[in-house]
Amino acid sequence: MNRPDDKKLVERCLQGDRQAFETLLVRYQNPVYNAAYRMLNNPEDARDVTQTVFLKVYENLDQYDPSHRFFSWIYRIAMNESINWLKKSSRQEALEHEAADQGDGPEQQAGDAQLSEGLEAALMMIKSEYRAVIILKHVLGCSYIEISEALDIPEKKVKSRLYAGRRLLQERLTQQGLH
Amino acid sequence: MAIDPNIVELINADIDGEISPADMVTLEAMLAESPEAQAMHAELSGLSSSLDELPDLDAPPYLIHTIMAEIPKPESQDRRSNFLQGLFAAPALRYAAMFVAGSILTLTLVNSDQLSERAFSDVTGLVGTISSEVPVGPDIRTLQIDRTEVAGHITLRSSGPLLIVDFDLVSNGPIDIVASYSDQSVWFNGFAQLESPGASISAESGRISMKIDGKRRYALYLHNPGDRDVSINLRFMSDGELVYETDIQYAQPGQPG
Repeated sequence: MNRPDDKKLVERCLQGDRQAFETLLVRYQNPVYNAAYRMLNNPEDARDVTQTVFLKVYENLDQYDPSHRFFSWIYRIAMNESINWLKKSSRQEALEHEAADQGDGPEQQAGDAQLSEGLEAALMMIKSEYRAVIILKHVLGCSYIEISEALDIPEKKVKSRLYAGRRLLQERLTQQGLH
Repeated sequence: MAIDPNIVELINADIDGEISPADMVTLEAMLAESPEAQAMHAELSGLSSSLDELPDLDAPPYLIHTIMAEIPKPESQDRRSNFLQGLFAAPALRYAAMFVAGSILTLTLVNSDQLSERAFSDVTGLVGTISSEVPVGPDIRTLQIDRTEVAGHITLRSSGPLLIVDFDLVSNGPIDIVASYSDQSVWFNGFAQLESPGASISAESGRISMKIDGKRRYALYLHNPGDRDVSINLRFMSDGELVYETDIQYAQPGQPG
C-alpha cells in the first residue's frame, strides 16, 4: 500500500482533514518523543514537549514551506521546544549535576547496559547545541543537509558541532571509565 | 602529534556515511600512514555505533488521543455544541453550567432503579466538585490508565457520606465503562461532567454504565452511609470486548486502600 506523502497530508490537514493530521501524528510521534527524551532525559517532560510540538505543528501548518522536508520542519520545532523547556525549567544545570553524580569511576564494569546508561548521562553533560546535532544524527538518522535544515545552520557548522560533540562525549565517557 | 584537520573531517564523514568514493580512497591512504588517525577512527566509530544503538522509545500509547483531543474540530462539528462550549468557556459560568449539566443529566439520562428522592438534592451541591486538575492527597486513591484504547486518571475520594469517582480519560473511539460494587448499602447518587457533551449513563443495582468517546471528564457520586470500605470494579469495553479491568478501593481514612 502506498504511504501518503507528508506534503499531501499537510495539504489535506489545511483543508480541515483531521484524519490526515492523525496520520502525520502516528508517523512522527515516536521520533519526536525520542528526540525530546534524549534532549531532556525525562519521560514526563518528553511527553509534554511532544504534545506541545504537535499542537504547534497543527496551529502553524499554514506557515510550513513545502520546499523543505516536512520532517526537518517538525524536528526543528521539536528541538526548539526541548531547548526552550530546558531554559524555562532551568533543568540543564540540574541534569548536568545528576549526570556528573552517575560517574562511578574506573571500577564500574562497562557492560552494554552500563555503557548505554553512561552514554545517556554523558549526553546530558554536553551543551544542548551539541546534543541536538548528535540526536538528529544518531537518534533520528538525519543526514548533514537534513540537520542543517532542521537547525537552520550551515552544513559546515553541523559537521563541526558533530565532531566537537562526539569528542566531548568521548571525554565524559573516559572520565566515567566507560570508554 | 596533532592529526591533520583534513583527515579528521574525512574520518567524521566516513563514520557518518557521508564520504564520497574518491575521498574514501584518500582516507584509506592517510589511515595507512598514521597510527594516530587509525586510533581516532576506531574510537569515533565505536562511539558512533554506541550512539546508534541507544534504545528506541515508544511514545506513551495515550499521547495520540490526548493530542487529537486538543486539536480543534472542523467548524461543522463545533456548531452543534457551540452554545454549551461557550457556556463552559466562561469561567464565571463554568460551575453554574456544570451544575445545570449535572442536574439535567442526572434527571434525564439516568435510568436508575437505585436513586432515592434525596439523591438529587445531594448532587446539586456537588457538581462543582469536579476541579480542573486531578486531585491529589493522602486519602485520595488514584489509578492511572495507560492503554492504547483508553488512558488517563481515575480518582476516588470521599466527601461526607458521598464517594466521588472522578474520571479524567481520553479514548480512541467509543468505550463503555461499567462500574460495579457489591455492597448493597451503597447507591448511585448522581453524576456530573466537565466540558464533555454527549455523555450517557445508566445505573442499576450495584452497577453503573457510562459511555465515553474522546476526551471526557466525569464524576460519579455514590452514597456510602457509615463511611464503609468500598471496592469498585471498573471494566472498559470496546465494541463489547473487554480491553481493561481494574479495581479501585475506598478505605476509611487511616486504613490502607
